[in-house]
Amino acid sequence: MIQIQGLTQQFSNGRGIFDVTFEVEKGEVFGFLGPNGAGKSTTIRHLMGYMKPQKGTAIIHGFNTWEQQEKAREKVGYLPGEISFLDGMNGLEFINLMAGMQGLKDKKRRNELIERLQLEPKTPFRKMSKGMKQKVGIVVTFMHNPEIYILDEPTSGLDPLMQKVFIDLVLEEKAKGKTFIMSSHSFAEIERTCDRAAIIKDGRIVTVKNINDLQYMQRKIYDITLENKNDVEKIKESNLIIENTNDNVVRIVVQGDYNELIEELSKFNVINISIISQSLEDIFMNYYDTKVAVK
Amino acid sequence: MNISLFNQMIKLNMKNFLIFGFGSALYVVLMTSLYPMFAENAEAINELIKIIPETLKNALGFDSLTSYGGFISAEYFGLFFPIILGVFSVMTATQLLAHLVDKGSMAYLLSTKVSRTQIAFTQALVLISGLLFIVLLTFLGGIVAGEMLIDDQTSLEFNTFFHICLVGFLLFFVVGGYSFLVSSLCNDEKKSLGIAAALTFIFYGLDMAGKISSDFEWLRNITPFSLYNPSGIASGDAEIFIPSFILLGIGFFNYSAAVVVFKLRNLPL
Repeated sequence: MIQIQGLTQQFSNGRGIFDVTFEVEKGEVFGFLGPNGAGKSTTIRHLMGYMKPQKGTAIIHGFNTWEQQEKAREKVGYLPGEISFLDGMNGLEFINLMAGMQGLKDKKRRNELIERLQLEPKTPFRKMSKGMKQKVGIVVTFMHNPEIYILDEPTSGLDPLMQKVFIDLVLEEKAKGKTFIMSSHSFAEIERTCDRAAIIKDGRIVTVKNINDLQYMQRKIYDITLENKNDVEKIKESNLIIENTNDNVVRIVVQGDYNELIEELSKFNVINISIISQSLEDIFMNYYDTKVAVK
Repeated sequence: MNISLFNQMIKLNMKNFLIFGFGSALYVVLMTSLYPMFAENAEAINELIKIIPETLKNALGFDSLTSYGGFISAEYFGLFFPIILGVFSVMTATQLLAHLVDKGSMAYLLSTKVSRTQIAFTQALVLISGLLFIVLLTFLGGIVAGEMLIDDQTSLEFNTFFHICLVGFLLFFVVGGYSFLVSSLCNDEKKSLGIAAALTFIFYGLDMAGKISSDFEWLRNITPFSLYNPSGIASGDAEIFIPSFILLGIGFFNYSAAVVVFKLRNLPL
């Protein structure tokens, strides 16, 4: 459905994307992970035909995304990463404009989406919060029933409840056999929906893997609070990777094997477990660092 | 062209169309209403004009103030009309492409099957429609005011007035054209506005300089403003067909170039 082959675009400041290659199959939800500035949006912009690749090609549905950009876009629903609407319009006017440009006549799906997202469409853009604007963007992206969805950081600005609505929407469309490519800087955001994901760093694809493999690879950090201070010393003697201890709180790093942690902890009286939120680099730190050494 | 985009863009810009259109029409009416007073004191005013150096008179088109045609073409069509339409052309051309690219809203417009060519073409039509609307209101204002306020003997012929407006429109078809080309080239809205405004200012200035001094007469060959000579048209001295044709040609070239540039360039969306 989507083929990206050797895509390269270097900007004057030396950054850019280099030899980006991956494929997305029909019916697949593909995550595109990377820290900010890694080249996710640049890759997506090539898919939308906003830039001419210096090298390589991007193909959607058999159409080259630069040379035949309007054909490549025809069956695409695109949600840009940066929300910027036309000034002086309200949500409904914008939705109608986009429907007109998409050649959409049927308003049923549109109204259904507006209701589900609890959007008040007649609000002028200047009075909308970021989340509301994002909802308008989501309506526009989904209303014409596209075959392929290209979503750049789709859940940014949405509250947890709306994130759930959005994820349901994605899963429904996935069940209908639609194809997705979704960028994000947070693994937690895409692991609920994606089948596979690519990780991009400094403009280069680091890996393309199944979500299960990535989940196994990720490194999680837990703060375990033990009731008995003496247990801290005992736990230190185990095979667990202990980053540090602070009073009766032990910070433990886990990658892949959770059984060992559970087994070890069952010996003690645990009064609290909390997970430490980490950046994408930290989650896959092992992978980034050891990739060269291991292979 | 895309009709949904066209309608929405017209709607968004209608306020400006109306402000500039009615502003221009009102100004014509106002100037026209001043003319009878002017005509009554024609002698005194002619004395006054004699003091003005010949070259300056040429530049301002003050050589034929005694008739209504000469008066209105010097006082309005040679002076305020270019300013009003110039500001409108530069502003609207920037608004229709560079602004949307700079702000990022173009990403939405370019997310459907509508091609870049269609979008640029539609936006050009919006600009031209606006110009046409403003000139039409000016024309109607002038005709109605002329009919009601000016004696039949001194009034301007319908055809002559129409010709002034037509060539005036074509001049700003060109100004809008190069402004639109600049707008399609720029990622930065302010840059687009600045370059288009500077160009317009320079072209206007070159025409003025060429009129004032015969040494600089050649300057008028490189500015479209010299093809628009309202005083000449009013007195029947100026050629209409050839300048119109040239303006039309330059205009078309600019809009076409803008569409091609917009189709081929990388957009920072």
